Amino acid sequence: MNFWETITGSDLTREWKAVEARATALPENYRAAWEQIKCHLFPHSDFTGRNLMPILDAALGLLEETAADGQSVQDVLGDDIQGFCTALAGGQGARTYRDRWREQLNRNVARKMSRLGG
Amino acid sequence: MDDLTEMLKGTLEGCVLEIIGGEETYGYAITRRLNELGFADVVEGTVYTILLRLERNGLVQVTKRPSGVGPPRKFYALNDAGREELAKFWAKWQYVSSRIDSLKEGGR
Repeated sequence: MNFWETITGSDLTREWKAVEARATALPENYRAAWEQIKCHLFPHSDFTGRNLMPILDAALGLLEETAADGQSVQDVLGDDIQGFCTALAGGQGARTYRDRWREQLNRNVARKMSRLGG
Repeated sequence: MDDLTEMLKGTLEGCVLEIIGGEETYGYAITRRLNELGFADVVEGTVYTILLRLERNGLVQVTKRPSGVGPPRKFYALNDAGREELAKFWAKWQYVSSRIDSLKEGGR
């Protein structure tokens, strides 16, 4: 990644287009699942969304593979798309600003508790 | 049996390791195997996230093979670290299940 790409994010736009092009090739109900996956993954994004690209790529890879197998999207993802996305994002170690806030909160609470002698 | 998901959470990774330990295999086959065992609620997405974690933790060796249709399939085999992890899993399982059994039988 060169300086220009870091600043403008032009590489991301390009990657994003490629990913979306792959997604349009999916069968109808798989595309619906893909939209949901994106919705559930965005909260795990860092500032630019760069951390999400490998995760989205992995998720799309699974959809492509299973769609080609002729499996139903229900068999692949079950009812819990959100849980799947959390596991996917957590599994990839994608830390977000939320994790940092949570840690900060926990630390502060722990400190206050110990001061109270709890 | 329904609603096993919560209880299975900590053990499914060990189950997947055991299945891969038997022979090199891929996500869909692992899911089917678990379904046959009676874990009907396990879907491929669940297995897939476990496989990603195993891969990230360096416990499996991954080989891509072309499949008849669609993109190449990822095959998983245990490496030495994976076999070690599997042995640890069974030791832990043995411990937990024996403790819980004795609790149920009112012993200690």
